Amino acid sequence: MVWCHPARGVCFLVFCGIYVLWTAAAPVAQAADAPPGAAEPATTGVQRFFQSMNPHISFIADVAFAWFSEDEPLMIGGHDPHASGFTLQQLELSVDASVDPYFRFDGNIVFSQFGVEVEEVYATTLGMPGGFQLRAGQFLTRFGRINATHLHTWDFVDQSLVIGKFFGGEGNRGLGLEVSWLTPLPWYVELLGSGINGRGESTARSFWGANDLGFRDPRDLLYVVALKQFWPLGSDVSLGWGLSWALGPNGTGLGNRTDIYGTDLFIKIRPLRAGRYFELRWQTEALLRYRQVPGTLNRDWGGYTYVVVRFAKRWEAGARYERVSGIEGDDLDPEWTSLRQRISPQLTFYPSHFSRVRLQLDVDNPSYHEQAWQYGGMLAFEFNVGAHGAHEF
Amino acid sequence: MRRTIPILILATALLAPGYARAKKGPLQVVATVPSLASIATEVGGERVTVESIALATQDPHFVDARPHLALSLSRADLLMAVGLELEVGWLPVLQTGSRNSRIQTGAPGYMDCSSHVQLRELPTSRIDRSMGDVHAGGNPHYLVDPDAGAAIALALAQRLTELDPDGADGYEERAEEFAKRAHDLRNRIVNDAAPAAGTPVVVYHESWVYLVELLGLQQVGTVEPKPGIPPSPAHVARLIDTMQSRDARLLLQEPFYPVRTTELIAGKADGQVLVVRFGPDLEAGESYLSHIEDVTAAVLAALAQGGAP
Repeated sequence: MVWCHPARGVCFLVFCGIYVLWTAAAPVAQAADAPPGAAEPATTGVQRFFQSMNPHISFIADVAFAWFSEDEPLMIGGHDPHASGFTLQQLELSVDASVDPYFRFDGNIVFSQFGVEVEEVYATTLGMPGGFQLRAGQFLTRFGRINATHLHTWDFVDQSLVIGKFFGGEGNRGLGLEVSWLTPLPWYVELLGSGINGRGESTARSFWGANDLGFRDPRDLLYVVALKQFWPLGSDVSLGWGLSWALGPNGTGLGNRTDIYGTDLFIKIRPLRAGRYFELRWQTEALLRYRQVPGTLNRDWGGYTYVVVRFAKRWEAGARYERVSGIEGDDLDPEWTSLRQRISPQLTFYPSHFSRVRLQLDVDNPSYHEQAWQYGGMLAFEFNVGAHGAHEF
Repeated sequence: MRRTIPILILATALLAPGYARAKKGPLQVVATVPSLASIATEVGGERVTVESIALATQDPHFVDARPHLALSLSRADLLMAVGLELEVGWLPVLQTGSRNSRIQTGAPGYMDCSSHVQLRELPTSRIDRSMGDVHAGGNPHYLVDPDAGAAIALALAQRLTELDPDGADGYEERAEEFAKRAHDLRNRIVNDAAPAAGTPVVVYHESWVYLVELLGLQQVGTVEPKPGIPPSPAHVARLIDTMQSRDARLLLQEPFYPVRTTELIAGKADGQVLVVRFGPDLEAGESYLSHIEDVTAAVLAALAQGGAP
């Protein structure tokens, strides 16, 4: 039953109300034959107030039609299609605005068929001295490249396997505080550290996960530390390299801890002088996990690499290869005992900047499974209305 | 002890001394597009260093928010933007990433240049994305009119004076001298364009409305049926019809739009395509005014030629 919980229903009504008020206050159609290019202001004071004082509000809907060779495909992302047929991957309500001269507000509230979820809501400082920045609230941690991003900026329909396996179907996020520092070095070097509650099966499954043993001292938080560097190689080539480390307690017993190390490499080629819409993006992440469990230390790893090429103004094609190890005696994924690989080619069409149609195939090879080769095809539609903010590179 | 770690981190962050602003050196100006950078160089003279984010060949709607640009902005004293949501897809993330309070929207170091010029195509009715990628505040491609540059230069002199009062006289003097040159250029262009008055032209994107007005031309069609929407075959056929029936022989476009379609259209309509950059190539020594002079001369020469080259 959707919207069954009264609090969720109230939440939804409040947001609908806000949205209706907002749209109602926007200027209604005036005389259609007014001369174009008239220099007098076209909006009244009230309309200007609503335009300038409201946060940017946008809705992004992701709907997919999927076909899988298995009745229960091994999709692990929280917004992945999980069965043949139609899936509402998510409806995201995204809100951002300056709070005052000191803070900026960002919120992403996700509606799914199972209810409403505050995916992210945080404040970011705008001008602390010394190149520091604080972020406080509920946020996706900036571990690696893909974890901090949302479905609508991904280059593939489904979540990458290693993120889903190590952090959970929603990616690593939680309530907490992040401090980052843009160093005064001549090239881009950013250092960041964040501390969050490491709970939730779908957001921190290698840590407290579903078995939260509570907060007693700062060692009971999940920390993410990262170093991000960037080099512009001329006007056409960009190179980004990051190192990340997530550390915190896990729920298998008091004092047991988990460490996840990651590195990410991103190369983008976009010739600016040629005057064409060609673009190539190559992104790779590799993660290594150590997890203390009663009696032993589990060690496993995983990663992905993909290339996406934009070959015309509205067309992109790409392919992703994923490789994630498995071990015996993993309490989180007891069946995942050996290597799993997956190859996913995709073709994307952008009718405009605000809509997207993506066809993706998944060729999945979970070597531990009785059905060692599994196939899937997904056709995903995305549409975006309202004023949506800019995205990180 | 347990709670001291986060408090220490916070305290370190708050108390760390500012390092970015070299108080003694020149003012650091970052402009989003080359035209604004050129104006800043003219007005600021020796007292400023200027950097442009976008290249003249690049579509200013779709610039990548590459992280090193946030580093440039972290050191900037003044950020000059075209405004009207031209940079909405990439500038806000750089401003936030810069952690620089001086150039945040609303701060004295942030200059939205659109607020100083006479705008065209202000929507007079409720706008909607079914109309394409329209700009709610008006058409942002105003920099091709020298009067816009003059107004921005004068406003910039005031802004620079606020940030660097010692340079006030120089800023004002250079801005007024620049504005005079811009007005002279505009008068010369309007004179030169008199014989071409009313000539029909076609453009790719709605980015030449200010040029069309400056030259007294008449825009009879756009290759994009709606801003940001590439043309369909039916629209192309209609446009060729329009060009033939209105005797439009010139098609204007920027280098970042594809030329295959436009050359086909121009070929059928017995006209020609003129590819024009939206701003000066600073590295090649062009300036804001010399670029406008070149662009208008090229358009008038093409019109005088009247059709296929």
